[in-house]
Amino acid sequence: MNEDKKVMACVDQSKYAESVADYATWAARRMQAPMELLHVIDRHPRLEAVQDHSGAIGLDAQENLLKRLSDEDETRTRAAREVGRVFLNGLRERAMASGAFVVDVRQRHGELDTTLPELQGGVRLFVLGRRGASAQATQRDLGRNLEWVVRSVNKPVLAVPDEFREPSRVLYAFDGSSVTRQGIQMVAGSPLLRGLPIHLLMAGKPKVQGPKQIEEARTVLEAAGFQVSMEIHLGDPETLIAQAMKSRKCDLLVMGAYSHSPWRSLFVGSKTTDLLRSAAVPTLLLR
Amino acid sequence: MSLQTLRQDWLSNVRNDLLAGLVVALALIPEAIAFSIIAGVDPKVGLYASFSIATIIAFTGGRPGMISAATGAMALLMVSLVKDHGLEYLLAATVLTGVLQVIAGWVRLGALMRFVSRSVVTGFVNALAILIFLAQLPELTNVTWHVYAMTAAGLGIIYGFPYITKAVPSPLVTIVVLTGIAIALDLDIRTVGDMGDLPDSLPMFLIPNIPLTWETLAIIFPYSLTLMVVGLLESLMTATIVDDLTDTKSDKNRECVGQGVANIATGFIGGMAGCAMIGQSIINIKSGGRGRLSSLAAGAFLLLMVVFLGDWVAKIPMAALVAVMIMVSIGTFNWGSIKNLREHPKSSSVVMIATVAVTVATHDLAMGVLTGVLLSGFFFAHKVGQILRVKSQSEDEGRTRTYQVIGQVFFASADRFANAFDYKEVIDKVRIDVSRAHFWDITAVSALDKAVIKFRREGAEVEVIGLNEASATMVDRFGIHDKDGADDMLMGH
Repeated sequence: MNEDKKVMACVDQSKYAESVADYATWAARRMQAPMELLHVIDRHPRLEAVQDHSGAIGLDAQENLLKRLSDEDETRTRAAREVGRVFLNGLRERAMASGAFVVDVRQRHGELDTTLPELQGGVRLFVLGRRGASAQATQRDLGRNLEWVVRSVNKPVLAVPDEFREPSRVLYAFDGSSVTRQGIQMVAGSPLLRGLPIHLLMAGKPKVQGPKQIEEARTVLEAAGFQVSMEIHLGDPETLIAQAMKSRKCDLLVMGAYSHSPWRSLFVGSKTTDLLRSAAVPTLLLR
Repeated sequence: MSLQTLRQDWLSNVRNDLLAGLVVALALIPEAIAFSIIAGVDPKVGLYASFSIATIIAFTGGRPGMISAATGAMALLMVSLVKDHGLEYLLAATVLTGVLQVIAGWVRLGALMRFVSRSVVTGFVNALAILIFLAQLPELTNVTWHVYAMTAAGLGIIYGFPYITKAVPSPLVTIVVLTGIAIALDLDIRTVGDMGDLPDSLPMFLIPNIPLTWETLAIIFPYSLTLMVVGLLESLMTATIVDDLTDTKSDKNRECVGQGVANIATGFIGGMAGCAMIGQSIINIKSGGRGRLSSLAAGAFLLLMVVFLGDWVAKIPMAALVAVMIMVSIGTFNWGSIKNLREHPKSSSVVMIATVAVTVATHDLAMGVLTGVLLSGFFFAHKVGQILRVKSQSEDEGRTRTYQVIGQVFFASADRFANAFDYKEVIDKVRIDVSRAHFWDITAVSALDKAVIKFRREGAEVEVIGLNEASATMVDRFGIHDKDGADDMLMGH
């Protein structure tokens, strides 16, 4: 891995911001990597409820409307820019105080899921809140953005909850797929999780290759100096993983993410989203 | 098209889209009725069309948040077709219009919009507003004073009511109040019910009842062609306006195809051809509509209201509709353009006024735009033709003269170019330096040829130097002055 590549913490003004910054600091410290705090300002945020339903158009309706809308945009953009800068610098100081050695800040216009692919060249790990500002109002567990953002990049993403707790035990949800098998190599080669005990869990339908694959994974990890335990269970992966997280007191989940098409996740639902929903711990999503 | 675009287009603004759709639907009803009357068909033809176009374009259009329905610009083009051949031919023409629009989208005709200058767009918008207003005059002539009073009261409510509350669409208040007054006082004035059939059921699929012959095609094709052009012009202009208002992009070619699909379907359920509406789209954006849902909601609400409240709609006095239409006309007109007449260059004012004048005279926006585009091209050629300087200097003790040509040489400036040389000068050698000139067309090339030949006949030796790459290509391909017998060919007569 290129040592110059940075940990990018994608923050927005929600209660997740501080925990995202903390987890990113943790990751950056472990990997001795520089870190960058990214704040994406949406140029076209969801419209507030419009109060004018008069439906009347008078003299120069078009010109007046254009002027009003562009004035609103201008004010909002300026305000967002200033607020964002203050906010980012606050987080930067917090990260420096907790031991990150290089912290940069960056604000960009656009949307998260189009911005990240543009920036991912210099990034080794993205850190995201599991719920952003846009999702706080909704009842759903996961940020509207998260699935799209994770799908849009090909770097690992650490999706974190709103409170920072330094990870001490790792649960690796291993399903024998090529993503999770490559993930084993990545974990073995990266300083991120070094020294933490790893529990390999294979759950779901029985697979012929399963025992062999998980044994291979264990060998690779042990060769890299990890303390590894493992088990294979039949049954619903979501429930089993949640149980294992609890019984083994794991506080970091690693899994492959969104290998199916977005259409499938719309109609059938996505295992990744279900898992993310049931586990309230930071989750490292492998792409 | 990704799943996310779909979500963004449809679900990012649900509450506002639904409310804006409702506001738009309330303003669409009077318009659809009014435009049906202009076209000379039953109100239900326009109402079905508005429902169908608004609903379908929500899925097929290239500009989310834009409202399309039965429009005045299109209705005005159908008048003689309906009068001479009847409704069935109009439905067939509507389908054909749609087919032509789909083809136009496929061959990316939308790119031609770049030749439509800003002055032409302003002229188009103003002409449209004037036509909508003029179409109301029949309802205001030979009527009792009640109608004038009602119309004035209607306009008063439309523009006054928003000062009290903006929560309720003021055109709706106007319609409800005026209908109430007309019923309460039992006024003997014209109502919507007097103008023809209203929809009494949901629309049904039907094939236009026309003979499928060449004669039929010959009748409807010219109408469909004009309808296609005007429909696309207004739609693409409106799309640009919505682009500017919302600071987002639209897919113009998809919009062309979308308009076509909407018109094809509309013809098959008994509706007249339509296109995007500037006034309604502004109302939609102003009311918070941004997504595709707003257009779908407008169409659905319109149909529901008309079909289930049909008996009440029939009782609406025409004066109320006239008031709403005058509002649309006022809101569509670009009033700033009148002030700009003094400030803008004369040529652009002439283009704008000519577009308006031709449109109002012919009731055909296509003719108006064509006039405007031709005039803009003419003025542009004239202006660029001014960028031409020819300087000269005698050298070698008066034996040689060097002309230096700087600027653009083409059909509009070729005469000035040819006249810039002094052919009668007694001189041994002429050098024409065109290294800083551009030769654009064969007129320019033949002007250079003529100049060269004229000098030769005066006994001067001519040398053309510094033809730059572009000009050289032109001269090589079309020039004759360096070939044998050039004199005879050019100056033979």
